[in-house]
Amino acid sequence: MNEEPLRPNPDDLLAALRDEEPSPKGRLKVFLGMCPGVGKTYTMLLEAQKARREGVDVVVGVVETHGRSETAALIEGLEVVPRRRLEHRDTAIEEMDLDAILKRRPVLVLVDELAHTNAPGSRHPKRYQDVLELIESGLDVFTTVNVQHLESQVDLVRQITGITVRETVPDSVLDGANEIELVDVTSGGLRERLADGKVYLGPRAEAAAENFFKEAHLTALREMALRYTAERVNRDVQLQWRGPRGRVPKTNERLLVAVGPSPHSENLIRWTRRAATRLQCPWMAVSVETGREVSEADRERVTHHLSLARRLGAEIVTVGGANVFAGIIHAAQEHHATQIVVGKTEVHQWWQRMKAAWQLHALVVGSGEADVHIVRVPESMEKLQQRSKTGRTVVVSGSRFGAELWEAILAVGATTLIGLWLLPVIGYWSIALFYLLTVVLLALRLSRWPMLVTAALSSLTWDFLFIPPRFTFYIAELHDAMMFGMMFLVALVSGQMTARLRRQERLVRERERRTATLQRFTETLAMAHDPDEAVNEAVKQIEAVIGAEAALFRRVNSAELEKEPAPGGRFIPDEKERAVAAWVYQQGQPAGRDTDTLANGLATWFPLRTAAMTSGVLGVRPVSERTLTLEERALLNALGSQLAIALEKEHFLRAIHQAELTDQSNRLHKTLLDSVSHELKTPLAVLRTACETLQGRATKQDAALISEVTQANQRLQRVVDQLLDVTRLESGLLRPKFEWCDVRELCDAAARAAQLDSVRLQWRMTEPLPFIKTDPGMFETALTNLLHNAAMHGPPDTGIEGEVSLRSDTLTITVRDHGQGLPGGDKVAPIFEKFYRAPGAAAGGLGLGLSIVRGLAQALGGRVEAANASDGPGAVFQLSLPVEIMTELPESVA
Amino acid sequence: MTPHRTILMIDDEVQIRRLLRLTLEDAGWMVKESDSGARGLVEAAHWKPDAIILDLGLPDLDGLEVLRRLREWSSVPVLVLSVRDDESDKVAALDLGADDYLTKPFGAAELLARLRAIQRRHPDATEEPVFQTGDLRVDLTARVVQVQGAEVHLTANEYALLRILIRHAGKVVTQKQLLREVWGPNAEEHSQYLRVYFTHLRKKVDPQSTGLIQTEPRIGYRLVLG
Repeated sequence: MNEEPLRPNPDDLLAALRDEEPSPKGRLKVFLGMCPGVGKTYTMLLEAQKARREGVDVVVGVVETHGRSETAALIEGLEVVPRRRLEHRDTAIEEMDLDAILKRRPVLVLVDELAHTNAPGSRHPKRYQDVLELIESGLDVFTTVNVQHLESQVDLVRQITGITVRETVPDSVLDGANEIELVDVTSGGLRERLADGKVYLGPRAEAAAENFFKEAHLTALREMALRYTAERVNRDVQLQWRGPRGRVPKTNERLLVAVGPSPHSENLIRWTRRAATRLQCPWMAVSVETGREVSEADRERVTHHLSLARRLGAEIVTVGGANVFAGIIHAAQEHHATQIVVGKTEVHQWWQRMKAAWQLHALVVGSGEADVHIVRVPESMEKLQQRSKTGRTVVVSGSRFGAELWEAILAVGATTLIGLWLLPVIGYWSIALFYLLTVVLLALRLSRWPMLVTAALSSLTWDFLFIPPRFTFYIAELHDAMMFGMMFLVALVSGQMTARLRRQERLVRERERRTATLQRFTETLAMAHDPDEAVNEAVKQIEAVIGAEAALFRRVNSAELEKEPAPGGRFIPDEKERAVAAWVYQQGQPAGRDTDTLANGLATWFPLRTAAMTSGVLGVRPVSERTLTLEERALLNALGSQLAIALEKEHFLRAIHQAELTDQSNRLHKTLLDSVSHELKTPLAVLRTACETLQGRATKQDAALISEVTQANQRLQRVVDQLLDVTRLESGLLRPKFEWCDVRELCDAAARAAQLDSVRLQWRMTEPLPFIKTDPGMFETALTNLLHNAAMHGPPDTGIEGEVSLRSDTLTITVRDHGQGLPGGDKVAPIFEKFYRAPGAAAGGLGLGLSIVRGLAQALGGRVEAANASDGPGAVFQLSLPVEIMTELPESVA
Repeated sequence: MTPHRTILMIDDEVQIRRLLRLTLEDAGWMVKESDSGARGLVEAAHWKPDAIILDLGLPDLDGLEVLRRLREWSSVPVLVLSVRDDESDKVAALDLGADDYLTKPFGAAELLARLRAIQRRHPDATEEPVFQTGDLRVDLTARVVQVQGAEVHLTANEYALLRILIRHAGKVVTQKQLLREVWGPNAEEHSQYLRVYFTHLRKKVDPQSTGLIQTEPRIGYRLVLG
């Protein structure tokens, strides 16, 4: 273990920071029990009732009462979202209605039995995936689960109880939970409850129950649950300890487990996962490609093991290597693994033992600094043995093996004929060389097993036909015997050597093919003149390389894909497939065939992601309904990233082009507006300054006249300002520039600008008001217009009342006048429309003020509403704006 | 009144120029006009006026560009004229060294007050040890602040802000300048500090809310001389 001084690991600091940030994700609380009947659902409901009393919006997604009245009583008062009925093979199955819950959007959802498997036709095959989606979309979830359903505990449970649990939940789900509460009773207590009939086990489980609920089993299960919770608590404590200057020891370990087609791999993976959890370190599962041909069944098992490892949280690594152990060592060095886990397998034959010992030695020497764990694989069960047998199927397919055998026999036969013809001339020793030549030449073409046959066949033929005494297998002379032995050995060795060479050559070719494909693909994308054509061509190439039909949907915006797939692909998805594609786009993870989500689709859908965005989704449907191999997936990933980069580039190019266009038109608009504004305002400015200068030295009579001019000027000024404001609003050029403002100050400025003259304005606000973030100019203009409107419509002696209130993040300004109220009583008059003037309103004004208020309110993300006052005549206008509120000052200020 | 104060007006609007000439000459200024930025720069170099009024919207050169070139060799006080809604231009002009700005339309009294303020040159050299306006009295040497004769206690930052405003009394001081001088160059973006501090400062030095310290939205603050 690494005992070097503990410097803060940047990853940890980041992770700790992330934990502190308020996440938009919902919180998950898990009620964990050791087995059915401990009261998980009961405890969960108690807690939910408590939350409800505290005012939390709780709904029941799914809760199984199993007809028990105590539990049923606890559901009372909670809203239950009706379940969804699914017809499956003439029976109706009820499942939790995920979409209904998402639509209802409560704060907290109760979802019983996390490990439940959904009926076919549901969105996800597993309920825990439903829960994950709920959390992703920001809902809090309470759920229950028994410890035996945890993926990492499955083989332990099997060892303890002999029962194989099929409904499992990945540990990562519980790792992501914010809280785990252990619901615990003693095993004696549980057995009592069982005897009282308080535990419901389901009709089929009755038989198994007898075995399952044995005292010893219960104690073991309880220990598992307690231990699991304890580990979790330990982790939480460490996380809390790891403050900004946290110095809690944290291992820098990295575990690596070798994964092969052998069924033992599953146990190895689980063992490693448990170890990694205890060490709190990352781990990876490595599969080695030796270039040896692998049967379809083995390939599928490796894929299965790797996906199990991925579900359990491992990083998946595939490396090439001359043999498995070389590959493991290579991967361990490349990924800085500190501990390597391999299986201890039972071998009986002496040569197998020799081989295993030699390989282990090579691993121990080659692993350098890393520790090597050799883990005992538990005694395999019948099923495992069966699978293990099928695991050793002959590598070369039957027909090819036969053909190669015939080739070997024919070649040896021909050599024999030549030998018989030449025997009188050159003697039987030279003929041995002919045989050797044949063996070496054949080695270039044949695989291992036919070569073995060739070696044996040629040595025996030579012995039988040529070594004296001829036509017997008896060898009289020592040097003949030696020659016989040498010949057999040389044939064997050269056969093996060439086979290995060819294997490596095949690997290299494979790699070259992949590189060439990628290069061609990149070139296609980069060189094409028309981006659409490039994308179509790329999709066609993917089809050709994978041997599949493909469909590509490109993005429209962050929520939507294009309606039709790009025309390059041959795969025309139906409605259902499109729904999968949409889901993949939104969630950013693969779905469809051969995945965990919506697995009954035709195609596998991959999101095309770059760091910046998801630029589309790619659907791949293998032609012969086969499963995509690991290599194909890897290749698809590589091609997909290239395609994603190309699409992203195109997207940004288009965006830049669009921005340039808008920019040009905006500039034109702004120039026009600026010159009109200048032309209108300059004469007004001249008038005003001139009037002011005159006022100073005017006679009393002249002063009255000048005052008239000044007032007319002010009115004109207001109209010009309003017209320009409206034009600016409609041009869309108005962009709020937010800054911290003092509400009081803004209100006073607006009141000054509204030139209320004789009209009395009374503010009601609870001071001190905090600072808010808004656009001061826009806010002031809106309020000015609102106040001016109120002043215009009320009798001059009544005054206006303004009220400012700030609730959570909304600023509400209410302005009340004592005029005639809204025109047309409570019927909605188009008062916020441009050029609308209330019938009977005082002369003056264009009827633009309120439309400006509305426009500005909308530009600031808020709204304005009008109503008649409830207490006496007059109208009430309410301007509400979402604002950011300054809660406290940054430390550095004080 | 000193009859020989000279002022250069750079504005393309002939009417504005004529009007300003009347107003300014009335107030005892000697006025020169210039209708373009390029000519204005030449005039400024030859004539060396005591102050310059510069319109930001000029036909040939951008007003900001004129200012930039002018400031390369002259520190003459400059008052910038601009239209509403162009806060960014105003801030840019002040950053480039304009002494104050005025938004069209403006009154004659306002113009003359601004000109008086920017005329108060080299404040550090000529500053009185005691500053007084309205109810406020600040003894700059003893660091004592009094309002209506009663001493008011200010925090270090509040006093620093008030001190800057007094040094530029009557003139606008940009947010950036205040932040930089009080909190250092890293605080230039944090205009919210100013909001908070000025609220406190106003309560202390202007309890009657007479508008002693004016906020110029988006631009800065101004200490108004009574």
